[in-house]
Amino acid sequence: MARHQFAVVVLAAIALFSSFWFLLDVLGAATHSTSAFGVTAFENRFSDFPSTVRPHTVYGYLSDNPPNDPSALAEFHLTQYVLAPAIVRPSTRENLVIVNYHGKNLDMKLLAANRLRPLRNVGTGLELCQGDIR
Amino acid sequence: MMLLFWLAAIWLTGFGFVRWMFPQPLRWSLHNILLFSLGIGTGAGVASCLYFLALVLAGSSFSVLPAALGAALVIALVLFLFAKRSALLDWADGPAPPWYLTALFVLAAALAVTMFLGAVAYNPHGDEGAWSIWNLRARFLFRAGVFWRDAFSSDLSWTHPDYPLLLPGLVALCWKLTGHESSDAPIAIAFLFALGTVGVLVSALGVLRGKTQALLAGTLLAGTASFVALSAALYSDVPLSFYILATLALLALQDRHPEDLRFSALAGLMAGFAAWSRNEGMIFLVAVIVARAIALVRFGDRKALLPQLLRLLFGLAAPLAIVIFFKWRVGGLGDWLSVPASTILKHLSDPARWIVTVEGLVVILFNFGRFLIPIFLALALYWYLVRFRVGTGDRAALATIGIALLLTLAAQLLADVLYLDNLGLEISTSFERILLQLWPGALLAFFLAAGPLQLVAPRPLGKVNKKGHKAARRAAETR
Repeated sequence: MARHQFAVVVLAAIALFSSFWFLLDVLGAATHSTSAFGVTAFENRFSDFPSTVRPHTVYGYLSDNPPNDPSALAEFHLTQYVLAPAIVRPSTRENLVIVNYHGKNLDMKLLAANRLRPLRNVGTGLELCQGDIR
Repeated sequence: MMLLFWLAAIWLTGFGFVRWMFPQPLRWSLHNILLFSLGIGTGAGVASCLYFLALVLAGSSFSVLPAALGAALVIALVLFLFAKRSALLDWADGPAPPWYLTALFVLAAALAVTMFLGAVAYNPHGDEGAWSIWNLRARFLFRAGVFWRDAFSSDLSWTHPDYPLLLPGLVALCWKLTGHESSDAPIAIAFLFALGTVGVLVSALGVLRGKTQALLAGTLLAGTASFVALSAALYSDVPLSFYILATLALLALQDRHPEDLRFSALAGLMAGFAAWSRNEGMIFLVAVIVARAIALVRFGDRKALLPQLLRLLFGLAAPLAIVIFFKWRVGGLGDWLSVPASTILKHLSDPARWIVTVEGLVVILFNFGRFLIPIFLALALYWYLVRFRVGTGDRAALATIGIALLLTLAAQLLADVLYLDNLGLEISTSFERILLQLWPGALLAFFLAAGPLQLVAPRPLGKVNKKGHKAARRAAETR
């Protein structure tokens, strides 16, 4: 009987202590978060974007993230998630191109290099541009 | 509030259906806990399939969806009301569990719920895979109207358009029915599937092995932090793990009730929904059919093989037909067909890839589940102290579960080795998810095989007899 009790208590204790440990991690992350890189924060950047995006619309996409920046791909995916049901292509050769920039001001050289003409600001660090589709 | 109403309707559709198959009076019983839990996955699968069919046949017309779901609900309720009694699934005989085991289970469940709520409060859209694949597809289905097929555009190839639609379909259906988009729907669905998985494990083991093993297995599953975290990540792995477990548990119950082939039929339906939840579910579907055949030929009644397999195939026919139609006409077969044979051969003959895979397996063996101590060591200790004792009647069930899980795992690993370019990254990021899909099924096998537990001193004879009389009276009522 004692062997069985020991086996059960060990197994249950490991599960419970592990759960509790992870719970502390979760609560710690939730309470000490300063700059959460996530969907809600990114969606808020699109506050000035037209609220209804028409289906079948295609936007180009350009970012000033360095090519090896791991957040570059995530931000592209987030842009697609926010703008669905429009389709976002990682290209500047579209009629409308969303430029995602992280500096205080939009880098005009970046636009010129990609033959983009700024149309209007559509959110924090987001510019809607006219693309060169020639 | 409307979301709760529609989720209840979806669950009631599933519950009505499974109760029609295994009817018993509505009261607090293990039988009904099992049906309650199976109803979650059944309702979700039926609703998701109906949603997809409505999209294909009637476009995104809103009126069709509540009508289709309402019709399913009415049919389920009619079946629910006019069903005849089936065999009662009750706790297996054995000593009553000590109070602390029940307390530990309740504590583990409470911790899991707190953990889940904490994780989704911090990250309501789930992890990257959830919003960039599953919920993105749900958004397209919900927002794009007649252009819903844009969700499978070649521009979105990085979202894997071939992934089946159980989860995104269900999320989009909830949004459509409630009339607005909110992260509450995927969160509630994830919670229900996690709850259902624990429910199926505890209730199935309760029938097969008794309350003590059932509560312990439930404590271990609810206490698997990675499992709860994966559920809160809003991926479709936990729904798949639900369907894998439900299929295997129903096949184990089939062996206890060989005359009632409805267990195999419902197991087939669950396996079909597994294939509708993820591509890995298709691997499992093939694996479970092979495993069942081997197990019955080697350990079971060979005469039962054909009737059981026919019922299994009958059960999975409808969801499988939907999966095939989806792959054929909507989502495509995926990018694995585009990998040239020369690349596959190169990957196959590259020893480094096999070494990386084995290394990944060893590492995950120690890290699995975010347990403070490697769980395989704890399970080995449990085995050493309690030992395994498999009854003759459970050999076929245990062989079915073991072979199905091993075949599924082996096929998934082989597919990774043969097809993936970035194998190291895949192993470090998704190996644990693959194991977690199989984890509830593995717990079912482990506790089905474990020997009987003696946790309290034997009761005086009079009390035992009293309990025995109660069990005998219940059995007589059932007969």
